[in-house]
Amino acid sequence: MSSSYSNYTNSPCAACKFLRRKCTSHCVFAPYFPPEEPLKFANVHRIFGASNVSKILQEVAPHQREDAVNSLAYEAEARLKDPVYGCVGAISVLQREVLRLQRELEETNADLMRCASYLGGEAASAYGGRRG
Amino acid sequence: MGGPGSSSPCASCKLLRRRCAKDCIFAPYFPPDDPHKFAIVHKVFGASNVSKMLQELPVHQRADAVNSLVFEANARVRDPVYGCVGAISYLQNQVSQLQMQLAVAQAEILCIQMQHEQPLQSHHQVLELDQEDKALLLNSNNINNCNNDNNNLGYAMSSGQFNSNFASPSSIMQMQMQMQMQDPLKQESLWT
Repeated sequence: MSSSYSNYTNSPCAACKFLRRKCTSHCVFAPYFPPEEPLKFANVHRIFGASNVSKILQEVAPHQREDAVNSLAYEAEARLKDPVYGCVGAISVLQREVLRLQRELEETNADLMRCASYLGGEAASAYGGRRG
Repeated sequence: MGGPGSSSPCASCKLLRRRCAKDCIFAPYFPPDDPHKFAIVHKVFGASNVSKMLQELPVHQRADAVNSLVFEANARVRDPVYGCVGAISYLQNQVSQLQMQLAVAQAEILCIQMQHEQPLQSHHQVLELDQEDKALLLNSNNINNCNNDNNNLGYAMSSGQFNSNFASPSSIMQMQMQMQMQDPLKQESLWT
């Protein structure tokens, strides 16, 4: 009856521990919230709520559930660190950085064109001088 | 704004089918003419969680908090697997690519400057020197300096856990985010 995940014969998963309920072999949270990571579920529960997480997990395909849980955990942690903006703050920072880098790249490419044409002109005149 | 007395209840109280009190915490941010806004936040976060989050914030920050929650909720509904974390992944990749392109361009300028300082012997020799110096400079500290700037962006960029655990966002999400993120106006007001 034992499985690789927590069930009622083994330690309950972090979700069932937190919710103080029996962790069955069919527990939807058990594969993704191991008992040694209690904070992960606590954060997700605080921001999204256990029932919302359960609904999201049921909506996604089984092979995508781990990624879904990890992204929820990431968002929850970000929201706890920054209660006003959450991970949207990081998006804003990254967007600004992208724009800054794009501007800098344009300026650098413009400088590169100027350097290349200047050097091309000098090389041409040096070659022409040797020939002439 | 929905609210007290004879006014229309706010979108939250309408959805939750309750009386919209004078001090309803949702009323300033979820007007009755935009029911979708609260519906989506309630679907992803839950009304009681949103209420608790708002109560923990000073009043002048609640509007921004609501807007960011709406943004996250919309992203999660569009992409139930990655939510707005998919956008972070996409932007991180974009930053890395731009840094690499910038490093290459800067290395090329240095190559040209170095060539300019050396006596020119033949046009062909200049081209060969260009290739060697470019390879050397690409492995130099210039790239390391660019990467160091990357680490100062905040926890989103420096979160090794995120970088190692996440697969690439779905291709549909990539295209959607590409379309969104190309709008420079959205950098300051993601939700207007």
